[in-house]
Order: sequence, then structure tokens, then C-alpha cells
Amino acid sequence: MTAFIAIGRVTIKQTLRLRRAIGLLLLAGAPAFMYLMAVLSTRGNLEFSDENAFEAFVGITIGTFMNIAVPVVTLIIATSVLGDERRDNTMSFLVLRPVSRYTIAAAKIFAAFVETFAVTGIGALALSLIAAFRLDDFRYIAPLLAGTAVATAAYAAVFVPLGYLLKRATLIGLSYVFIWENGIGAAVPAVAGISPWRIGLSATTGLAPERFVDELPTFATGSITPGAGGAALKALVLFAISVGFISVFLRNRDLAN
Amino acid sequence: MTVASPAFAANPSVEVDDVSKWFGQKVAVSGVSCSFGPGLTGLLGPNGAGKTTLLRMLTGLILPSQGAVLIKGQPPRTNVARYREIGFVPEESALYTNLTGQEYVAYAARLSGISNPDQVARRAIDIVELGDASDRAVGGYSKGMRQRAKVAAALVHDPEILVLDEPLNGTDPVQRAHLITLFQELASRGNTVIVSSHVLQEVERMTDRVIAIVDGKLAAAGDISAIRRAMSDIPYRVAVDCDRPRQLGAALLGNDAVNSVSVEDGRIHVETSDLAGLGKVIAGLSRDLDTRLSRFSPEDESLESVFRYLVGRR
Repeated sequence: MTAFIAIGRVTIKQTLRLRRAIGLLLLAGAPAFMYLMAVLSTRGNLEFSDENAFEAFVGITIGTFMNIAVPVVTLIIATSVLGDERRDNTMSFLVLRPVSRYTIAAAKIFAAFVETFAVTGIGALALSLIAAFRLDDFRYIAPLLAGTAVATAAYAAVFVPLGYLLKRATLIGLSYVFIWENGIGAAVPAVAGISPWRIGLSATTGLAPERFVDELPTFATGSITPGAGGAALKALVLFAISVGFISVFLRNRDLAN
Repeated sequence: MTVASPAFAANPSVEVDDVSKWFGQKVAVSGVSCSFGPGLTGLLGPNGAGKTTLLRMLTGLILPSQGAVLIKGQPPRTNVARYREIGFVPEESALYTNLTGQEYVAYAARLSGISNPDQVARRAIDIVELGDASDRAVGGYSKGMRQRAKVAAALVHDPEILVLDEPLNGTDPVQRAHLITLFQELASRGNTVIVSSHVLQEVERMTDRVIAIVDGKLAAAGDISAIRRAMSDIPYRVAVDCDRPRQLGAALLGNDAVNSVSVEDGRIHVETSDLAGLGKVIAGLSRDLDTRLSRFSPEDESLESVFRYLVGRR
């Protein structure tokens, strides 16, 4: 446990630098800012009803927060937690220790999750709080935070090994998000089932009032059934698979050039 | 020439059995067999000889393409507990630049399962004389300080086997002398200390036992002077200083023990295939000529010349 915590702490300290943290917070907070602008600009406008405000909240949650902000923030952080070890030649420091490869892998993914959720969670909180005050309905805060946590965990499980294996992990990750998930995944419901942001969204829809589900466009959820338990389980399975993959790589691959 | 038996330590803790490593078409290490036991062994070779690749295989950082490396009888990768017994100082930076020196070494201690990591880290930092800078981020350290921080992180768990890849790079003469003394002390306590270097004088100061790698192959092993003596197929060059160099140089000409003689800047340079015979001849001639000898020493018993020979021979 000492090694797990030590790896996690050092990973966060190394990868979440101040400038980067500010940039990522701006990115994660952009959807909340957009929604705030929409709310403020329509204040007193009787044609912009509560219903319109709710639609805007759901639209921004799906259209910019869950499917762009969360994956991009996670991609940037998660690909660096092992990628930076390789780039900075610190891999030997980490792996030539009496620490099981599973511990290293799990600590790295968990650190990526904690670090990313500290950013995406703030974005989710800001967005849902603005909606809560505009709609006078606070029932969306916890579901959006839970969905964001699940999506962040699932993305971390995908992007940490990607960062370790590929030098151009960010580019590949962006292609994955925009072409595979948001392009093909929007058209093919079966693909949507393995899309992390949709897994997260299914947790949100499972916990949020029915009205949220009714408002969702079909491309958003694809074949996924709303449900927080199932979504959390999928994220856990992805986490376990990722830990296994990374452990195998750490055991069987050269860890230096 | 390969001096076979000196490549193997009597009581080995690290064994290298016919190890090769290739990266695509490039062969970095080819068929190297040797072993390392308690004491200090210098791993020598010019840049690009394959030293770093060999050391990385010793630690399990990279896997051999062929052959096996055993740390106390086991491949390091299959049993991570073995890493309790290994300390590694890589050639490259390998630093977490946001951590202070103290945090960096304490992190190594925590990963090594030490129960009081901060105290032990402080002690390791003191050993490498980095105490004054221990609260500063290692990203701001000079090259020499970085090297010492890496050494402290490698020593923090008191490993039995210490593998150091060019550990003196970037250190100033005082730091170098201190680190050399430290490595020698560890070796004298029975630790297996393997130090690679391409700077021959460094290794000469540290140890007599050498394993030389050239072009990825084991070129020579053993005591430096023994390696040189084993190269009986090439002549020795000997420098002789005396108060009448021209007379002594002329007298040496035509002697059976002398291949050639030259006098430059008042020093006689003699090439011989019979070092012992030359010694007797010079002693006799200096008596006959009533000249006073102030120096009689092989010019090329340095690792530099051994190297030059080994590289040139291949």
C-alpha cells in the first residue's frame, strides 16, 4: 500500500503542473461557462423558457462536456502518467524496485483518475450548479458528478496504456475520441456500447430524474441502458483489463531503448 | 584475444550467460559471458560499445534477445523481490524534476519497502554530501548534483548489488574522488559493485578488475596489467628517463631485447617484446655509462592503450 500511495502522489505531483492545471480547468470549465453565458444572455427573455434552459443544459452536457471536455482532459493527463516516465527516462527508477507490476499499473491508472476527476469534477460541478440555480432543481448535481467520475475512470483505463505504448498517444487518442466515438459511435449503436463517455452518461441517466433521459438524443446513449451500477461495473472491468495489460507489458517488454 | 577465466568471478552474484541483444538489424551486445561477484568491477568500453545495453540487461530493464542474466540464480524480471538487492544508477537523467532531493530519495526508499523512508533518505543524502541541497527541486540541480542524487537513490535501500552506468559523468574532481572512495568502501564491505565508464583513468583509480566490451563483444577481462601482459603478440612501449638519454639510447640500439628506440624531449622511448630482459639490459647499461635512471615504466599499461589496442585489433 505504501508503494501504491507513493507512486500515486509522485505521479500527480509530476504531471499536474500549475500551468497545465489552469489550462485543463479552463477546458473542463468551458461548457459551464458556455451555459452561464446562455443563461445570462437570456435573462428576462420570456421566450427562453425553463424548458429551453433545460434543453440547453442537456445539450451542453452531452455536446461539449461529456463527449469533448472529459475525454480531452483525461487524454492529456492519462497519457502522461506512464508516457512521461518513458520520456523522462525515469522508468528504470520506478520498475527496478521490489514492487509488483500490478501495483505500479493500478497506482498509475488510479492516479490518472484522481488527478483528472479533480479537474473534470469541477467542470461538472460548475455546470450542474449553474443549471440548478437556473432551473431551481438541484437533482442533477450528483448524477452529473457520478457520470463524470465513471467516464473519467473508463477513459483513464484506456488512455494510460495508450500513453505508455505510443509516442503519439495524444494524437491517436484524439482520433479515437472524435472519429471512433463521436463519429462512428454516433452512427452505430453497438459501438456506442464501448464508448467511455457514453458509459459515464448512462450512469448520469440512471441517477438523474426521468426528464433528463427523455431529453437525450439517441446518438448519445446508443445501445447503452441507463444505470449507474452497470456503468460503474463497466468502468471497473476496463480498469482491471488495463491493469492486466500494463502489467504484462511491464513484465515482457523492454523498458528502455 | 579473450582472457576467458578472469571474466568470471569466484563467487558470482550476477551471471551473464552467452547474452546477446539486438535492436532490429543492429547488434548491440553479442555473445557475452561473464560474471560479477563481491568487489568492484569496471565495465569498460568506448562510447557505443554496448556497456549500457549490457547493464540494462543485468538489471532486467531490457530483456536479452538470446542468453540469460541471473541475479543470485534468478532472472531479475521473474521475481521483483530481487530488486531489494539491486541498486541502479542509469546513465541518463532519470529524475523526477518536481521533487526535492529529499523527496526523490525518500520515494526510492518507499518503493523499496523501507519502513522509515525519510530518515533513511536523509542518511543516503548525507553519504553523497548533498545535504545542503536536499530541500531544492532536483530539476534545478547541476549535473554533478544530479549524479549524486541518483547514487543516493540507488544506495538508499542498502543493496547488495550496485550497478552504476557512467556514475562520474558531470562530477567535479572533488565529487569524483568522493564517489570513487564510496564505491570502493562498498566493494570492500562485500557488495558487488559494477561501474561502467569510457573514461579509462576513472576506472584505473577505482579498480584493477576490468571487463572490456568492444563492439558489443567481450574483448578482455581480468586485471588491467594481466590483460596487457596477455597481449604478448604486441610489443610494449617503455619510457626511460635518465640524465644522459642520448648515450643510453645509442647503447640500447642493436640489443636483442630492444625492437626500436627513439629519444624525444629528453625521454627515451623503447619498444620491446621482452620487458623483463629490457629491464636487465638497461640496468647494466646505466651502470656501464654511469647514468642515473629516474624512470623506467611501461607507457601503455594504461587502460587507454589497452583499449586502443583492443579497438584497433578488431
